Amino acid sequence: MIQTSTPRSGQQTHSSNINNETVAWPLVVGVGRAHAHHGEFLQGVFEAENGRLCRGLVTLPLTSQESLVTFWPDEQDGIRPRPANRIKAARAAALTLEHVGVAGRGGELTIESSIPIGHGYGSSTADVIASIRAVAASARVTLRQSTVARLAVAAESASDAIAYCDQALLFAQREGRTIEHFGGEFPPFLVVGFRDGSARPIDTLGMRRARYDSEEIGVFRVLRGLACRSIRQQDPRLLGRVATISARISQRYLPKAAFNTVLDIARGHDACGVQVAHSGTLIGILLDAAAPRPAMRAVELARQLRGAGFTDVHTFGLNAETRVIQ
Amino acid sequence: MSAGEDYLRAYETPRFAQLAPNLNAACFSLMKLLPARFMVDRAEASGRLKRGGHIIETTSGTFGLAIAMLAAARGYGLTLVTASSLIDVKLKRRLEQLGAKVMAIDDPQGDGNQRGRLEYLHKTLQDNPDTYWPRQYDSPENRLAYARLADLVVRSLGRVDCLIGCVGTGGSLCGTGGFLRELFPDLRMIAVDTHRSMLFGQPVGRRMLRGLGNSVLPDNVRHEMIDDIHWVGALPAYAMAHGLFRDHGLFMGPTSGAAALVGAWFAKQNPEASTVVIMPDEGHRHSDTVYNPDWLAGLKDWPISIPLEPTVLERIRPAEETAWTRFPWDRRTLSAVLAQFDGSSPAERQV
Repeated sequence: MIQTSTPRSGQQTHSSNINNETVAWPLVVGVGRAHAHHGEFLQGVFEAENGRLCRGLVTLPLTSQESLVTFWPDEQDGIRPRPANRIKAARAAALTLEHVGVAGRGGELTIESSIPIGHGYGSSTADVIASIRAVAASARVTLRQSTVARLAVAAESASDAIAYCDQALLFAQREGRTIEHFGGEFPPFLVVGFRDGSARPIDTLGMRRARYDSEEIGVFRVLRGLACRSIRQQDPRLLGRVATISARISQRYLPKAAFNTVLDIARGHDACGVQVAHSGTLIGILLDAAAPRPAMRAVELARQLRGAGFTDVHTFGLNAETRVIQ
Repeated sequence: MSAGEDYLRAYETPRFAQLAPNLNAACFSLMKLLPARFMVDRAEASGRLKRGGHIIETTSGTFGLAIAMLAAARGYGLTLVTASSLIDVKLKRRLEQLGAKVMAIDDPQGDGNQRGRLEYLHKTLQDNPDTYWPRQYDSPENRLAYARLADLVVRSLGRVDCLIGCVGTGGSLCGTGGFLRELFPDLRMIAVDTHRSMLFGQPVGRRMLRGLGNSVLPDNVRHEMIDDIHWVGALPAYAMAHGLFRDHGLFMGPTSGAAALVGAWFAKQNPEASTVVIMPDEGHRHSDTVYNPDWLAGLKDWPISIPLEPTVLERIRPAEETAWTRFPWDRRTLSAVLAQFDGSSPAERQV
């Protein structure tokens, strides 16, 4: 998808200082993509290296919705985003230009996203990550995922693990670092996602941070261990259990009104568990995609959820080798 | 702190040994390092323990060794308060080589005189208010530390149905079990104690098996979490420790033998239950006794054949050192269980 722009003058050629090499090349039109997520399997406080505690999360990727960003380098100053209010995406683009050694160059940044804003789908982060990828593509530079994550946090102060695509990892969202790489793909799920009916959009960064107590931090440690086990064993039941407990702890900080009803419905459909957006309004019921007739079970579950008054009910797969029926 | 400076974390990490298809043991070299390090880390972080500061604790066992290793490695002074009846000469020598001051309180009754030790400790704290007292008996940090063990258990084994462990302070069993039960609410928790320990309602008396049980009741013992209580006498514990070594190459202390005895029985009774047993330390400290045929030959009733199953008690009472007894506790409080009999407190029922 990378198109070469037409150089209008020799000024289109810039030099990069990546790896201290001085190489001259032109900027071209660059395209980057990043997908949404559906909240988290797990979010809390975890022990990083040296016993230090830091906030971290395990993202539930939602690959069917994405942000598509195109960077059009030109001779004018500054990054000009479209829509014009996508300031964090513009900041990410500027930081990326600086990182690849062409600071101060300008261009238009077109953001086309299908991701709804403000419900925990990670729309803002997806724009930021796609912008970083677009600018890197424009400079024809490959960025490591860890670099993308770090630039994203620098641009918007907190991020999620979308820079790592659908890899299973525990990510420090305010530091842009991996706390633990679980070393494998997520077990197969069909997720029936929906919104807590009454909820309004949430300003993620304006939210007060959860203050977890020592007991909860201990529970997070064990949940992290169980998440690791579930990914190594490809056992969706264990990860469902992790998600449910994390969601239950989250009830103390950002309660979802219908949570107990959802737990009952999940139990009635023999689901693996319930996950939430810990800083959003999304809820997902996790079905084992390797169990018999997962697609039909998802349809039945979605029907009951709609009947119970939940909105935006939709089904998506994660590593599921089955067709999704909406 | 670099990984190299945190080598005591590796020392506190258990190995998992599969003893039967549904029975795994968490085998520690020195389990008490886990709560000791957690507590010292927290005390440093909160400013309760300052650089070059002093630590005091009452202990007759391996918590003392653990905290002495930490104190030595991190440059703290340390006073350990124990009882004259519990002095293990070789352990005392090791503690003193680590720089600890070991204070032995007279113990005419031979029950560990925990009361006398605490009196001494409180007086010392009064005179030296900057001294840090970890309070392994009552500090919730003792239990919180065991989130690390729960984490290691689920990483290695996934779902757990039953957790079995010895109880002395209550930290390891109630801590690990508490965290595991957050994940697996149906988790069965089985406590292993010994005759004449007062933890589960027996009258206090001289105990032959050391390293579990207590003559006072620590806050960290959470009776209402416990499904079943077993009291294992010294001799079956020794015999089972020998069995662990002979059959599995696991050279563990006698309390590990007691836990393994209960674990093997439960796992056989419940072949579908994924069972984990906590084995707190190794056998080296006991090489002149439990692992010494000459010493064993002097014991009344030795050798014994290991009982095939515990005797179920209708009423909580002490038994011989050859005995293994059991009582269904059913997650009740201590007072609820005692009220079932005659409402009297354990102190009033002393023999």
